[in-house]
Amino acid sequence: MDPPLVSESSFSAANPAAYSLAELWPFCGSEPGTGSLGLGMGNLGPNPNGFAESSGNRDGSAEESTVTEQSGGGGGGRKKRKEVSSEDESSKMVSTSSANDLLSESNGKRMKVAGSCDDNDGSKAEVEASSAADNKPAEESTQPSEPPKQDYIHVRARRGQATDSHSLAERARREKISERMKILQDLVPGCNKVIGKALVLDEIINYIQSLQRQVEFLSMKLEAVNSRMGMNPVMDGFPPKDLGAQSFDASGMIFGSQMREYAQSSQPEWLHMQVGGSFERAT
Amino acid sequence: MTPKGVTLNTNSHKIKFARRFIRTLLKMRKNAPSSSSIEEIRKRSQRIKIAAYSSMAHAVGSRRAWSRAILFKLRNRARHHGMMRRRSMKKRVIKNDPPGDQSQTNKLRQLVPGGKAMDMCSLLEETAHYISCLSTQVKVMQTIADHLSK
Repeated sequence: MDPPLVSESSFSAANPAAYSLAELWPFCGSEPGTGSLGLGMGNLGPNPNGFAESSGNRDGSAEESTVTEQSGGGGGGRKKRKEVSSEDESSKMVSTSSANDLLSESNGKRMKVAGSCDDNDGSKAEVEASSAADNKPAEESTQPSEPPKQDYIHVRARRGQATDSHSLAERARREKISERMKILQDLVPGCNKVIGKALVLDEIINYIQSLQRQVEFLSMKLEAVNSRMGMNPVMDGFPPKDLGAQSFDASGMIFGSQMREYAQSSQPEWLHMQVGGSFERAT
Repeated sequence: MTPKGVTLNTNSHKIKFARRFIRTLLKMRKNAPSSSSIEEIRKRSQRIKIAAYSSMAHAVGSRRAWSRAILFKLRNRARHHGMMRRRSMKKRVIKNDPPGDQSQTNKLRQLVPGGKAMDMCSLLEETAHYISCLSTQVKVMQTIADHLSK
């Protein structure tokens, strides 16, 4: 029984016409699985037992009708090389014996069909089993084949809600805002313990308002002082004798270099020095 | 993003601000009309306040949006001083904030100069810089006042 089948299958592997038949299988068999199974059985009729065995060994699942059929095309070839008794070699031999593009293409198509079929079944392990069952008849075609890609697509689909450009941009914006909020919280005293954006904003607003009010108050105060000094000729003309000496004691050493810069300006020096010294103290 | 301008060169800003502000004060002192009516006093204190803000804005320069806004306003004010405003300024108002803190954000916009034309991100950034500058300003003014009133 075996020898004729072997020869037939090997011929089919080498023969493009027979391969067109092999190509046809998955297409007619992808939808009606049982019908294609019957067809395959009919084609492989001479040795149903051996086919069943091989399929049982490889897959152990009767669900993958199409896959087992397709591998059945190469299964004949494998049978022939049971004397060699290495499955990989046998399948490789098949692929090399018909190492034209047609085969790889058809294999890729088959793989796709098988993948989709198994996806419908919803079992990834079976896809892997099918790819293992097909062995590596065309490794080039298995690399771009679906099963590994489908994982990525699946993950992408799960992330899809967050990955479209709008929500990405929105997330980036929110991150930015929260970052700035943190900076502001560090700046505004007593704002670190406040939780919640609204409350933090409240604090910030209050702080700014208080600062602006302070500026207003200080400008009033300064106006009073300034005009008093302007009105009072003694104060106005009061030379930098005593105060200047004072501030020199205090800050002349520290501010030595900056004082030169200040001294170049047309303003009286003492004021600058004083201010500089008090800065140092204030900070 | 590191807050480049927020951890600002406070010292240089402080010194620049103090210089400008004191110069303005002295100028005002020189040609101070010695009238002590309430109206005059209010006007003068207003001028001092404006001087303080403008000195701070000058010290910061035009790198920041808020200082730019102050400078622009001052220039405009100087140009149109005593004149009627010819055209009302169109104000770009961005409204992409969630409605929850709308009022607070609007308040903040009104407080920070030039804040009406900013989106939320830059508004917060400018606010941070503005706060640091404002606190510096307050400190310096406090010091000057203390020294003058001694």
